[in-house]
Amino acid sequence: MDIPAMRANFAKAAATGDEAPLYFYSHLFLSHPETRAMFPVSMAHQRDRLFSALGDVVARVDDLDALVPILQQLGRDHRKFGTLAAHYPAVGGSLLATLEHFDDQWSPELAKDWTDAYTLVAEVMTAAADEAAEQPAWWDADVVGHEGRAIDVAVLQVRPRARYDYLAGQSLSLETDIRPRLWRYYSPANAPRPDGLMELHVKARDGGPVSSALVRRVRMGDVVRLGPPVGHITLHEESDRDLLLVAGGMGLAPLKALVDQVARRGPARRVDLFVGARNEDHHYDRADLRRLEQENPWLTVTLAVSEDKVSSLEQGDVGDVVMRHGPWLSREVYIAGPGPMVDDTVGRLREHGVPSQRIHSEVFAPSRPGPSVDGEVTE
Amino acid sequence: MSSDQAHGNEERGLNPADVQNVRFTRASMLRPGYVDAEVDRVMSRVAEELARHIAEKAALRDEVRSLRAYVDGAPVQEAPSDQAVRILSSAQQTADAYVAEAEEFSRQMTSEARTVYEEEVRQARENAGAIIQAAQEAAAKMTGPAPAGADTPGRSVEELEEQVAYLKAFGSAVRVQLRSYLEALITDVESEWGKADPGALPQGPPRPPAQRSGRGTGPGGATAFSDNTVSPAPSAEEDVSVAAGARSSS
Repeated sequence: MDIPAMRANFAKAAATGDEAPLYFYSHLFLSHPETRAMFPVSMAHQRDRLFSALGDVVARVDDLDALVPILQQLGRDHRKFGTLAAHYPAVGGSLLATLEHFDDQWSPELAKDWTDAYTLVAEVMTAAADEAAEQPAWWDADVVGHEGRAIDVAVLQVRPRARYDYLAGQSLSLETDIRPRLWRYYSPANAPRPDGLMELHVKARDGGPVSSALVRRVRMGDVVRLGPPVGHITLHEESDRDLLLVAGGMGLAPLKALVDQVARRGPARRVDLFVGARNEDHHYDRADLRRLEQENPWLTVTLAVSEDKVSSLEQGDVGDVVMRHGPWLSREVYIAGPGPMVDDTVGRLREHGVPSQRIHSEVFAPSRPGPSVDGEVTE
Repeated sequence: MSSDQAHGNEERGLNPADVQNVRFTRASMLRPGYVDAEVDRVMSRVAEELARHIAEKAALRDEVRSLRAYVDGAPVQEAPSDQAVRILSSAQQTADAYVAEAEEFSRQMTSEARTVYEEEVRQARENAGAIIQAAQEAAAKMTGPAPAGADTPGRSVEELEEQVAYLKAFGSAVRVQLRSYLEALITDVESEWGKADPGALPQGPPRPPAQRSGRGTGPGGATAFSDNTVSPAPSAEEDVSVAAGARSSS
């Protein structure tokens, strides 16, 4: 396999920007019209995603140790889209046609190398998908509660119809029939419960098709689909260190799940939860947090506002407020929220002397298309 | 019979010349028909040849098909033409543009609505804050000790001073009036009493009635009253005179 030649060939297609993926998908839909229904109406984001994923694969094609787990994850993830083994040759054919179309030095050798490489990729992905076949490709879940908490925030209670295993702090992808084929990531705000109920916090992003539908249109009795859980904000089994949790905005959900986990499973430890928001109205879950604080003597909840001068809550950016308390040197730290807030807080805590390996963070930003190949989950 | 077979196989690829060159010995009276063995041998050769041709043809046909498949690309279905791909691509781009436009429109609308909402809430909150503050100040003023304000109490002190001055003037006027009245009364009593029983009088002339009105009679006292601003002195004097008269008569 002539990897440099393949990379050079791929670079030509990638250099066309949107052209190559546009050609690829049109080719695929024309030669296999049944695949069209697996994609959303607008393909704009899809196209970006395809070539960035392919680029990741091409970049690692000579490092199988790194590549194989990525492909396995991709294979498992694709089950929820309804991908079948039969779809792989179709994609392979259109991919080859695309690579050939944008390379005037296409050769039978390149064709053979790409065919071999793609066959390998498809085998790894289908094998991983088959291995996961004992669990559902997706879970139907009933919306059993929908409560508007602010002008643009709703708290949903959903109950999967089949058993859904996850860890507190993980995220899951979600699709609603109101916006078909658009999957977005959300974190349950509770640890797994015996009755399977999950609490989801959703903020309607301006112009966000899925989030605004979940906040304003989904009602009790609707059904949503859930993908398998992903994400790395989870409590480490072996550690019973006291916790410092710092949430900004919608980053509250996974951290509230960690609080719930400590309450349900232990081990006993002190937990300090800081929640930052712009003003009091944005503290959409204040009442429930106060309830948790009253029920659990080991829990301290501090609410902060950054743009609300008349509020009696603590004033300032949440990272700043955290540093006014403390010290936090012995804590296991979890941070979730918007990018700048996470960066700021991580920076302050490192400066404060908390070792990096005890700081876990996750960025919650608008429109999380899915985990990147590195396993990063961004909203 | 044999010629039928020969004709039938001819179309399947038997070389026509071969068949034409076959010459069977004519039948005679003594030996009707061809020599059997000769005919059989030729026929079997023909059959063999035919079988070989058929097999070869099938093999070639397979090869052609596989070669053609290879040339046309792996999927046997016809690949979409570039033109079709272009048309679908531009249709897809149009759809993408519409969706993006709709999302952008929705984004603008909601963000504008949110801005307006937040501004309204902020203003309402500020107004409420201002109202509460004013109410608290008012409450403090009511319940708290006087020193609070500086200019409003000043004004009221002034007012009070004015009032006090007025009341003082009023009081002194009343006092003066009262004294004059009492003096007049005493004078009246004494004069009446002196008329009734002069011997009971202590001595000589009755003491000079009032310091100021040395003339001694009732009406004289009235002049002193008229200096005062307050009450219509004459009537009061009359009343009092009557009353005093009545009392003294009883």
